[in-house]
Amino acid sequence: MLNTAGLRLDQAPPLTVPFAFFLGAPPFAVAAGLLLAWQGEGALAARWTPAALALAHLIALGFLSQILCGALLQLPPVLAGAPVPRVVPVGRAAQALLATGTALLCAGLALGWGPALGLGALGAAAGLTLLAGAVAVALSRGRGSVDTRRAMGLGLGALAVTVVLGLVLSAALLGWLRLPGLPGWVDLHLGWGLLGWAGLILMGVGYQVVPMFHVTPAYPGWLRSWSAPLAAGGLVAATVLTLAGQAERATWGLGLAAACFAVFALTTLDRQRRRERPILDATLLHWRLAMACVLAAVLLWFTGGRAETIGVLLLVGVGVGLPSGMLFKIMPFLSWFHLQQRQLAARRFDLRIPHMHAFIPERRARIHWGLHLSALGLLVAATLVPGRGLASLAGLALAVSAGYLGLLLIGCYLRYRALARRF
Amino acid sequence: MTTAITDSFTQDHHGCDRLLAQAERRVAAGDWPAAATAVADLGAAMEHHFALEEGVLFPELAQVFRVAENPIEVMVAEHAQLRALLTDLHQAAAERAQADALGVLETLHLLVQQHNYKEEGVLYPMADGALPERGAAIAALLAGD
Repeated sequence: MLNTAGLRLDQAPPLTVPFAFFLGAPPFAVAAGLLLAWQGEGALAARWTPAALALAHLIALGFLSQILCGALLQLPPVLAGAPVPRVVPVGRAAQALLATGTALLCAGLALGWGPALGLGALGAAAGLTLLAGAVAVALSRGRGSVDTRRAMGLGLGALAVTVVLGLVLSAALLGWLRLPGLPGWVDLHLGWGLLGWAGLILMGVGYQVVPMFHVTPAYPGWLRSWSAPLAAGGLVAATVLTLAGQAERATWGLGLAAACFAVFALTTLDRQRRRERPILDATLLHWRLAMACVLAAVLLWFTGGRAETIGVLLLVGVGVGLPSGMLFKIMPFLSWFHLQQRQLAARRFDLRIPHMHAFIPERRARIHWGLHLSALGLLVAATLVPGRGLASLAGLALAVSAGYLGLLLIGCYLRYRALARRF
Repeated sequence: MTTAITDSFTQDHHGCDRLLAQAERRVAAGDWPAAATAVADLGAAMEHHFALEEGVLFPELAQVFRVAENPIEVMVAEHAQLRALLTDLHQAAAERAQADALGVLETLHLLVQQHNYKEEGVLYPMADGALPERGAAIAALLAGD
């Protein structure tokens, strides 16, 4: 049976649903920067400090996951021809739960407030579960690129595991259950979160958008078929070994997943080098920097580098940089596209809709990339050479870069709204 | 099942991608005489593609496969948007307005990509299934000018 749902115009969610997630993300990265500026060196002394845990969750949940959730409500209709059921109430409820939950969880982690930590973890878990369930329904009904749907499906599965592990760890922190070998469980939680949830979704999206954005050769078929299942397999192996009490061997499973991402990063850089579009825009700069961060993080991990440096490379270099670079294309395009639909519906062809760069000027997007690069450099330096007072400066730089990103995204939305009022 | 339509039209999309990249390269370099030629080549190639779809492929498909009417309508509406962007591009290139030309090229590029994704993923396979006898002849029309 041929499915024509992929070509219907009314399947995309209202613009404000994904935009609310995209606009809601930068304040969390600003908060992470300000927290680091306030706490200084101590926060990066070890990955176990209360401030480091709060920082990691502000970025991973508040920034990265929020943007991924917004993208997941937008992408299945476009890539798989399947709208997300009840997208407006699901989107609004999931975002409210995720944002409040993250804020409470991070306050609980940073300040040691048990009730905030517990409530926050539950709220964020509820929001993510609601969203993952709705997107899974859409993907199961969809068609289109099987590689992308598989990577996204595995990413959603990884999110479910991350959420369960997060709840277990919260219960352990609150003293509700005893968890021998806690560090091994934390490794699993962040492995499933970063390599599984974020990594597999970004990989699945990358297979589609890298060739599309810059007209590169397609990724090789063997990589598209095997990388996501192999990375997920590595994470499953690590989990089984940890459950069997062999946490030290579990690192091999995580290593397999990390190696998959290193191959993905190298292939992406190679594909982009062979692109046909000559433009070196902010999106491409962010992709290159993020892929370099993946490679540096994997190299450090295999050579026993500092966990804090690896965390900064993955969370800020990839987790903040890559979504920023994608939003610089996605938000102006969606704004333009929705305005076109309004124009068509209103039959007001006398009004001109400006091109994409009028929504986020390319020059400003490049300035943001420069600010992001400075913040990342300072953060990496702060983890490598402690005791020089770099951490506070790095925190401020992160707050400035994320604040500027927020302004650019708000500017895009305001421009859209002003134009939409004319139809 | 034959894939003559999917293969030939997808290949033609890639040809247009390359022409768009060429126009972008010329505009970015500020080489305006070459940019004007590249923009004209791009416009001609896209118009040839649209004309064959709207004049031959889509009507033949709609005749034998009524379900295709709605997606065809969407594709034709997007052709109109793409034509409007091509007009903007010609104008920006004629005025040598580099920033505008690059902004229009970026918009054109992304609209083309999502349009092609839908055609290549849904409409062309549908046409190959519904018009197995006509695929080779329609593909030949696309190849010849």
